[in-house]
Amino acid sequence: MAATETKVKRGLAAAACALLGQPAEAAGTFEGWDFDAAMLYYKEGGGRVSAMEPVLAMRRKFSGERFLSLKFTLDALTGATPNGAVASNVPQTFTRPSGKETYTVAPGQDPLDDTFHDTRFAFNAAWEQPLSRMSLLTLGTNVSFEFDFLSAAGSAIYARDFNERNTRVSLGLSYEHDMIDPVGGAPRPFAAMGAAGSKGAASDTKDVIDGVLGLTQVIDKRTIGQLNYSLSHARGYLNDPYKILSVTDRATGNPARYLYESRPEARTRHALYGQLRRQLARDLVSGSYRFYADDWGIRSHTVEGNYRLKPSERWWVEPGLRFYRQGEAKFYRLQLFDGDPVPGHASADYRLGAFKAYTVGLRYGWDFENGTGLILKAEYYMSRGDASAYPDLDATMFQAQYRF
Amino acid sequence: MLKGRFSAMACPCEVLLDTGDRALADELTALAAGEARRVEAKFSRYCSTSAVSRLNAEAGRPTEVDEETARLLDYAARCHALSGGLFDVTTGVLRRAWTFDKGARFPSQAEVEAARALVGWDKVVWEKGVLTLRPGMELDLGGIGKEYAVDRTLSLISARGVAALVNFGGDAAASPRPSGAPWTVGIERVDEEGAASRVIHMTKGALATSGDARRHIVHDGKRYGHVLDPRSGRPVEDSPRSVTVAAGTCSEAGFLSTTALLKGREAEPFLEGAASRFWVTRESQRLCRLRR
Repeated sequence: MAATETKVKRGLAAAACALLGQPAEAAGTFEGWDFDAAMLYYKEGGGRVSAMEPVLAMRRKFSGERFLSLKFTLDALTGATPNGAVASNVPQTFTRPSGKETYTVAPGQDPLDDTFHDTRFAFNAAWEQPLSRMSLLTLGTNVSFEFDFLSAAGSAIYARDFNERNTRVSLGLSYEHDMIDPVGGAPRPFAAMGAAGSKGAASDTKDVIDGVLGLTQVIDKRTIGQLNYSLSHARGYLNDPYKILSVTDRATGNPARYLYESRPEARTRHALYGQLRRQLARDLVSGSYRFYADDWGIRSHTVEGNYRLKPSERWWVEPGLRFYRQGEAKFYRLQLFDGDPVPGHASADYRLGAFKAYTVGLRYGWDFENGTGLILKAEYYMSRGDASAYPDLDATMFQAQYRF
Repeated sequence: MLKGRFSAMACPCEVLLDTGDRALADELTALAAGEARRVEAKFSRYCSTSAVSRLNAEAGRPTEVDEETARLLDYAARCHALSGGLFDVTTGVLRRAWTFDKGARFPSQAEVEAARALVGWDKVVWEKGVLTLRPGMELDLGGIGKEYAVDRTLSLISARGVAALVNFGGDAAASPRPSGAPWTVGIERVDEEGAASRVIHMTKGALATSGDARRHIVHDGKRYGHVLDPRSGRPVEDSPRSVTVAAGTCSEAGFLSTTALLKGREAEPFLEGAASRFWVTRESQRLCRLRR
């Protein structure tokens, strides 16, 4: 019974907001949790990765405008992912990460490592507390487990409002410590795949420090803008322990051998993000741009636009488009060549290469009268590398989210 | 703090203003009176030129409404859904079958059914800004009109940068004072001993009171108030004498207090989860009179 009444309270608050055109000020404390449950299904084409991701988020208000948010995420991935080697005219055999088995790829096929079965569990908690009438502190923690990876992070964000709450400035800092425990051990950089002594220590670590400076500004009664600058520094083991590079014989074009990749032990990243949202008569339009650069030489641009059609108070439809362009890392190589000197660093991980990606999506939202809501989302993603040998990707994604 | 008084919607109205500027206080009081009278003129069914009266006159034909009326009808529709059909702005017709006069008998089932045929928001077609009532049906926004006027008035005063408490005959809403000091509101309640006042301190939010001023009726061994359940067409059993609710806005508080009355014995459990604070007064057993 209590749960139904709380839904009445929420549905009523939303109804009053629609009637009066402004959010109501709470006269007391809300009790109980607000829930948000979602299920995502993701599938890449060409026999590559498939993922199912259930997520449960909960939020509860305490007296004094303080909030506790919890989020539980489970990621179950199956399928195969490019291992970094290039397709060849001859069949290719690779050693599995455990070192105990091999797998073979037919000629002309992009080599995919299908030992990729992974389950990830992540837990996130955040506590929001007003420090004064115009300022807010959010403390957060994030823990993530996979069978070969463990991550723990803590963060703090301080936000302050100005100009009668038309301006909000925020500063966030976070520290993350990861432990990588790859199957078969962490490979030595540029060690030959399958060779004795190619695996070094059983595990390794990395540390990441992040800072974000944000500005949110109400521009007029119907428009709100946001600007963020973020800086991140990572240090430690930054390789992907399962990725290799083909060393190709120039004369025959066939692979001579395979080497484990080698990335620098530090990475500094910058990102600048701007977004504008405008309320039209019934509809909502938003656009954003993000510029990213790091000291590995990668530069990227993301442009996104969304238009929410709201034909009634009850439901809405939102088509969206995203365009992404990435330039390759300095040490990105499609492959190495036999006889050439081995460079300082090299990786054939397709995520560090140069490519363009397009996403087209559609979201559909429905607000029920009892205060609950449903959002359905479908997205189609395609990425095309600049180089013809780049493993292009097509993926579809479906997500259902229920708020109660 | 300055106070302004005027009369509107058949009740004494006052605005408490957090300012020392008398000229500003007079201006804001006039603003409040203007808004209260505008809402009354537009939505009262007792005003022959009101939008509601026009809709009632056109019952049976699809009628277009303006944006503000549309928002109120959307709100009425949401309230109907959230209350499981108890809160219904078409119940005016039902009251004619139940006059509750001294010595009048309970209407027959046939008379109740005849009235019920003309009652029920589910019989109304409301879409895309066009309302169609069935012939003989009547809209009565009395359950949300005064509360809406309170919220609108407070919003107009707040837009002028002054904190205020707006009180239209016991339905009130307040915006927070910069000093953080609470407003003091007196709620009139009638109990067995006579009129009394409860004093409530609020910093922000709203209050609304719904009540049934007359004594309960006992019929066939059951006690009834004078509040009518639109689903059955009959009075609600064991309805409270009065319900005062605190909520974020007066419109929400009005819905909750009206619906709580209609919940009869279930008023307290309903308000437990749905309202921030509430006060329910019930008639004591021994003072009810037998009616035949």
